[in-house]
Amino acid sequence: MSQGQDLQRQDPQRTDLELQFDRSDRRYEPGAGLTVRYRILAPGEEQIRAIEHSIAWYTEGKGEEDLGVHFFERLADRKSLAAVRSGLSFSAQLPPSPLSYEGLIVKIRWCARVRIFFSGGRDFVSEHVFDLGAIPPAWQPQEAAS
Amino acid sequence: MRLPRIFGKKRGHRRTGSQAWGSFGDGIFHGLLVVAGLVFGGLLISGVAVPEWRINHDYVATRCRVLGVGLVKRTVEDPPGVRSTTWRPSVRVGYEAGGRRREAWSRSRPATGTADRAAAVARLAAWEAGSEVTGWYDPSDPDVVVLERGYNWWMWLLALLLPGALLSFGGAGLVRAVRRWGRSEEAIAAASRYADLLVPLSHAPRPAPDHPGVPACDDMVNSPGTILRYRLPIESPENWTLLGMGLFAVLWNAVLVVLALGAGLDFMGGKIDWLLLFLLVPFVAVGGIGIAMFVRRLVLATVVGTTQLEISDHPLRPGAAYDVLLAQGGAGLLRKLELSLELEEQATFRQGTDTRSERVVVWRRPIQTWSDVQLAPGTRFEVRAGVTIPPAAMHSFGSEHNAVRWQFVVRGTPARWPPFQRVFPVVVFPGAPAALSRHGGLQEATP
Repeated sequence: MSQGQDLQRQDPQRTDLELQFDRSDRRYEPGAGLTVRYRILAPGEEQIRAIEHSIAWYTEGKGEEDLGVHFFERLADRKSLAAVRSGLSFSAQLPPSPLSYEGLIVKIRWCARVRIFFSGGRDFVSEHVFDLGAIPPAWQPQEAAS
Repeated sequence: MRLPRIFGKKRGHRRTGSQAWGSFGDGIFHGLLVVAGLVFGGLLISGVAVPEWRINHDYVATRCRVLGVGLVKRTVEDPPGVRSTTWRPSVRVGYEAGGRRREAWSRSRPATGTADRAAAVARLAAWEAGSEVTGWYDPSDPDVVVLERGYNWWMWLLALLLPGALLSFGGAGLVRAVRRWGRSEEAIAAASRYADLLVPLSHAPRPAPDHPGVPACDDMVNSPGTILRYRLPIESPENWTLLGMGLFAVLWNAVLVVLALGAGLDFMGGKIDWLLLFLLVPFVAVGGIGIAMFVRRLVLATVVGTTQLEISDHPLRPGAAYDVLLAQGGAGLLRKLELSLELEEQATFRQGTDTRSERVVVWRRPIQTWSDVQLAPGTRFEVRAGVTIPPAAMHSFGSEHNAVRWQFVVRGTPARWPPFQRVFPVVVFPGAPAALSRHGGLQEATP
């Protein structure tokens, strides 16, 4: 169910970020612990003002997007920001729901996001999808009506 | 510093409006509401509330001799071309104030004005020339005198309610916009502790305790069944349609009656308004059709007896088996009665200025079907069946704009009436983690 590719906002100054989950298949059981490690490969010339870590679910599909944040932390102190080049990590225990779901018009995706705020005012977000649970994709049997 | 972009890339090729500019516009709009509330409130307070409060608290009592009476005529043109006149009684009095004798026309509250001149003249009879009455004069302007005191409760209500609504709605929106300004969507979502207070129109369902995203089912387990543990609530959008049609029929025909009465009175007075009569024809047709459609709906809703569904436990869990009891009341023959379990996805989205919802049934399993069911008045057709939730089933999910819903659906085909469908929503909680990984999916689940 994982998209296999992550989203990084178009960045004119080519900020680059490398992120790893503690499970290579990115599949987690509800209630399991999740640890994410990352490092910024090319922070650009601008100074980093703050970094936000989040583990969230969002909906995709026909409806408007809904977002639920399970874990969130904001780093703005110098000590944490100084360590960003050598690498940072964050962990959380995943909740029992909502599980990742690939429906027909409703999809639920879990992701780890790192959002970097630069002193110039711009921000850079790196999003990495993972699966919570193992719900198979919805399918539409012949008798189903739409 | 640079300005935020108007458009921000969301994901894929989809573009959405900039959150920063959105918050800015939201803040401006709600700020204007706050300003309007302050201005409106200020005008009402300074123009109505404060003068009235001063009359009742600051004005000094004195004895006034009635010298004469008259009417104050006030003509306003609103809307342009349409003039209306009001008459207000006024009394010429002589009184002692500020150390000297004064004469003045008494002031009265604007609400005492009337469009009926005869009624205003009749009210003047309360003051007899030469008599002595109690009056109150303004100590800061002794030429201002009133003969009546008291409060207009509706004016105070107006002064509090209208600006209060503008201030609370605009203030909440302004606080929300300020809270969002310069913050990421994750930070906003994470700090949603008091979000419901600031977003009064949010339709996110209340989540079950310790199960984010899973709707609570408290209101589904508060009705005990007659045989099984719970009686499931029925979802009946048809009843709302029926109510809407009934309201439309009543209101439309009420307007029609008023117009018809006007036309009838004209006719009795020897005057025929052909234009009104001509306009009444389509109105009568629409009113008749409205009544006919309402009656038809009412008959369809009541001719088939009530359907009840009871279940042995709730909320449901994937892989677990449950007993359900279907009870169908009414009279006559049902050619077919079917009970099934369905998984439905629901998405709400905006299309222009409209908000639309789309529902898709993504999985359906018939539980049992009965043919040629003869219903008898006074008794119920009762049947018990077993149902197993697929072990790898998706749990119920509900957020502000999206939902995954489980429901029992009863479909019936009466011999003499159109088919009917009745829906009984249930909530399925997530299964144990091991069960999720062991099974392949819905299609492999055994009934």
